[in-house]
Amino acid sequence: MANITIDGVQYEVKDGRTILQALDDLGLLMNGVDVPHYCWHPKLSIDGSCRLCQVEIKGQPKLQIACNTPVADGMEITTANERVKKAREGVMELLLVNHPLDCPICDQAGECKLQDYAYEYGVAHARTKEPRRALKKRVDLGPTITFDQERCILCRRCVRFTREISKTSELTVNGRGDRSVIETFPGFPLDNDYSMNVADICPVGALTTKDFRFKIRVWFLDDKPGVCTGCANGCNVHLGVANNQVYRYVPRRNDAVNETWMCDEGRMSYKQIGAPDRVQEALVRSAVGGLVSTKLEGAIAAAATKLRAATSGGAGVVAALASAHATNEDLFVLRRFCEALGTETMGVAVPIGRADELLIKAEKAANGAGARALGFKDAQSVVDRVKAGAVRALIVLGHDALAALGGETALAGLDCVILLDSHHSPLERAAHVVFPARVAAEKRGTITNHAGRVQRLVPAIEPAFDAFSEGEVLMRLGQALGLAGFAPGVSFNAREVSRAIGQAVPAFAGCDYDAVGDEGRLLGGAGAR
Amino acid sequence: MGLKAPYVTNYLTQHFADDAFGQVDGYVARGGYEAARQAISRMSPEEVSTLVKDAGLQGRGGAGFGAGLKWTFMPKGNEKPKYLVCNADESEPGSFKDRLLMERGPHQMLEGILIAAWATGAEKTFIYIRGEYAYAAKQLQRAIDEAYSRGYLGARVMGTQLAHDVVLVRGAGAYICGEETGLLESLEGKKGQPRKKPPFPAMYGAFGMPTTVNNVETFSHVPHIIKHGKDWFRTLGTEKSPGTTIFGVSGHVVRPGLYELPLGTKLDEIIFEHAGGVPDGKRVKGVIPGGMSMPILPAGQLDVPMANEFLRERKSMLGTGGIMVMDETTCMVRVASVISYFFRDESCGQCTQCREGTGWMNKIINRIERGAGSSEDLDVLLDVAGKMEGATICAFSDAAAWPIQGLLRHFREDFEAHVREKKCPFPASFEL
Repeated sequence: MANITIDGVQYEVKDGRTILQALDDLGLLMNGVDVPHYCWHPKLSIDGSCRLCQVEIKGQPKLQIACNTPVADGMEITTANERVKKAREGVMELLLVNHPLDCPICDQAGECKLQDYAYEYGVAHARTKEPRRALKKRVDLGPTITFDQERCILCRRCVRFTREISKTSELTVNGRGDRSVIETFPGFPLDNDYSMNVADICPVGALTTKDFRFKIRVWFLDDKPGVCTGCANGCNVHLGVANNQVYRYVPRRNDAVNETWMCDEGRMSYKQIGAPDRVQEALVRSAVGGLVSTKLEGAIAAAATKLRAATSGGAGVVAALASAHATNEDLFVLRRFCEALGTETMGVAVPIGRADELLIKAEKAANGAGARALGFKDAQSVVDRVKAGAVRALIVLGHDALAALGGETALAGLDCVILLDSHHSPLERAAHVVFPARVAAEKRGTITNHAGRVQRLVPAIEPAFDAFSEGEVLMRLGQALGLAGFAPGVSFNAREVSRAIGQAVPAFAGCDYDAVGDEGRLLGGAGAR
Repeated sequence: MGLKAPYVTNYLTQHFADDAFGQVDGYVARGGYEAARQAISRMSPEEVSTLVKDAGLQGRGGAGFGAGLKWTFMPKGNEKPKYLVCNADESEPGSFKDRLLMERGPHQMLEGILIAAWATGAEKTFIYIRGEYAYAAKQLQRAIDEAYSRGYLGARVMGTQLAHDVVLVRGAGAYICGEETGLLESLEGKKGQPRKKPPFPAMYGAFGMPTTVNNVETFSHVPHIIKHGKDWFRTLGTEKSPGTTIFGVSGHVVRPGLYELPLGTKLDEIIFEHAGGVPDGKRVKGVIPGGMSMPILPAGQLDVPMANEFLRERKSMLGTGGIMVMDETTCMVRVASVISYFFRDESCGQCTQCREGTGWMNKIINRIERGAGSSEDLDVLLDVAGKMEGATICAFSDAAAWPIQGLLRHFREDFEAHVREKKCPFPASFEL
C-alpha cells in the first residue's frame, strides 16, 4: 500500500496502480476528484495519448498524465490549480480545432464528454480561423454502428476495445497526424457479439448505434438501474426511459458481473418490452373453444373453478412448470402455491443457447439459478409426469417449456392448464386460462444470476395495459382457492416476499430486495460484491 | 558514389576515402576489432560502461544523453534476453552523417556494437535503418556477413565468451520511427508510434525485452574510446561535450557536405572557414544549427561554440549537428511553412497537442505567407507552440514547436511584414 495525498487529502492506495486507477479504486474519479480524461478507460489498456488528465506532482517539473503515472508512497498530487487548469484548457482547445461543432444535429449531445469537458474545462470561444477537416459523416462500420469521422477525437478506446475485449480487432487508426481516421479493414466490418459497446465508450458522437441513433434526445431519458434478462449473466444496465417507454439498454458498471460491457443481443432485448406480441389481457377459454378476453377477476374465478375441478380427485395431480424469466419472488409464491396444493412436481424450463468466455451464458434466461435454489427441478421431470398421464392440472409460467414438451399438443388432454405469460405463444392453444404477465422492466423483484448473485429489478415503466407479476396472480388465485397461507385481502408485495424468502430458504438470507442494493449480493452469505 | 569522405576528417572518418576501410580485411589491417577484443577479453562489462561514461560520450542521435550511463540502466542478470538497437533511421532534415558512417565505415560501427553488447549483456542487435538508405543497407549487410564469416559475430566472438548476433531491419519511411520507442514499435512490425513511458526501453524494449537504443555515430565513437582512453577523448571537444562529431552543412554555402570537427567548434568557423561561406557574396540571415527541429540562430549569433552547453544559452541545441544556412534572400515565413508542413505530415497523431497543433500551426503560417494573416495570429502561433511543448508522449511535439518559436523569436519582423504588406515581401526567396 502507498500513502498519497490528492489535493491535500491523504489516501491509502494499492501499490502498482496509476493515479487514475487509484482514484477509480477509491470511487472518487469524477466523483469527488475531477481528473477529466478521454483515452483512459478503467477496463482498457492505458493509452496515454489524449493528454487531458495532466496533474501536478510535487517535485516533478512537468505536469504528468495521471493515467500512466504510478503512485508512490508520499506522492503529493494537485488536480486543480491554475497550471493544471491552463493545461486542460490547452488540450480542450486543440481537441476542438478540427471538431465540427455540430452538436445541434449530433445524437451524442447531452451525454457527450467533449461537450461536458469543453463547458467545464475549456475556453468559451474558438480562435481558429482555419477550415476544419472535412471527412465522412456517415461511415457504415458494420451492422450495428455508424461512424462520423469528423467528430472523432482519436482517443482510440474503440480500437482497444476490439483488440482487448471483443478480441476481434476490426478497428484500426489509418493515416498519420491530423489525417488519422478510425477505419475497418477492407472486407472486415465491425461485426461481433459486443460491437455496440464501442458506442458507449466513444466519448463523443463519432460512434453511434444504428438502433438508438436519432430516436430521442438523451436529456429526455431517465436512466433507471436494471438488469438485462437475456441470459444467466445478469449484466447490469441502465434502462433509458421516456414517455413510459424503454428506448435503450446501456451497460451499468458492475465489476463483479459485467464490468462495463454487455452483449449486443442483450442490449437489443429491450425491444421485447414493447413488442406487439405482448399478452395484453386475461383470456379464458369459452365453451365453444376460443379464448375470450376477461377482466382479471373473471380469469381468477375461472382458473379457480378449473383448478378445483381438476384437483377434486386428490392432491398430486397438480404440477408447475416455471419460467427462469420469473423473479425469485414470483417463484417463491408459486412454490408456496404448489405446497398448499400438496404437490412437489415443480420444474423450471431454461432455454439453452450459445455461450462465450466473456459475458454470454448458455442459459438464455436470467433466473435459472434462482429457480433451482428455490427447489425447482429440471422441466423434464415435470414433462415426464405429464406425458405419463399423472398430471391433470398444470400451471405454466412463460412458454420456454414448449421445447421440453415438444409442442403444446403434449398438454391437450389436461383438465386445467393455467398460463401466465408476457408474450403470445402456441402454448396458449393448450391453455384454459391465460394471464398477462409483466416483464422484468415492469416489475419489482430479485433474480439470481449464474454465479448465485442476487440482483434486483426496479420497475422502470408501467405497462400500458393490465399486466401482473406472476406472484400477484398466484397470490390472488391462492386466495380464491382458500389455500393455506394465502390470507384474504393481502396483496402481493415483492419486498415482503423477498424478505420471506430469506427466512424460509437459508441460502437467500441477507439477499432480500433492499439488502442487495444496486450491485447485488451473492447467495449463501458468500459476501457482498 | 558521390561523396566518399568528409571535407574535414578526424578519428571517425580518417580512413573514409579508402575503399578498403569498408571491407573487413582493410578494417582489420588498420587496427580494426582490436578495441573490441581488448574490451571483451581484458575488461569487465562494468569497466567498459564506466570508461565510456567517464569519457563523457554524449549520444549523437539528437538528445545528447550520456551513452555509458544509458548502458548502466540495463538490468543485470539473464532473466530475459537483452537487446541493443542501433538507430540508423537518420531522418532529421539537414542530417546525413550516419549514412556516411554506414557506407564508409560499417565495421567501425559493428565494433562499437560489440563493445556495447559486452557492456550491457545484450545477445542481439537490431540495426534499424531507414528504408531510403538502400546503398548503406547493402554495405552494412555485406559487412555483417563478413563479420560472421570471420568470427566477429556469432556464437563465440573472436573466440571469446561473447555471443552476439546482428540483424539488419529496413524501415518503411517515417520520421517518427527515429524516435526510439516509435522505432521499437516499427521494429516489431507495428505502426510506428512512440510508446508512453514508463516503462522505459531498458525495462521493456524491443519485443518486451530490456533494450538500449544508440545512434550509429554513438556506436562508431566507442572503439576509439576503448583504444585511446578517456583522457585522449577528452582532449577533443569541450569539457562537457568531448570528442568530435560530424557536422552536416547544407543550404546557402559554397561547399555543402560533412565535416568531422571537435564539439565546441564555432559555428561561424564551420560555415565560413570550412564550408566556404555563402555563395554570390550574400550574407547569412539565419542558421539552423542541429537539424530541422532545433531553433534557428540569427546571423548575429554565429560565434556560438557548437556544443549543447553553449547552444542552450542561445535557446537552441546541437541536435544531430545538421547545419542549415540561409542567406539574406530567405523568407523566414516560408521556412516556417516548410518546417511546419514537415512536422504536420510526420506527426504520428497519437497525442492531442501534437496531432492538432502541428496542423493548426501549419495552416496559420501558410495563411500569413499568403498575406491573409493578422498580428493576433502571431500570438496564437506562439501560444499553440507553447501548448505543444513538454506535454506529450515523445519529444516530437517539442521538436515541432521549437523551430517555430525560434523563428518568431529572431525573425518576428518577417512575419509582421507579411501581415503589414498583406503579401510576402521576399520575392527572391526560395519558392514553396
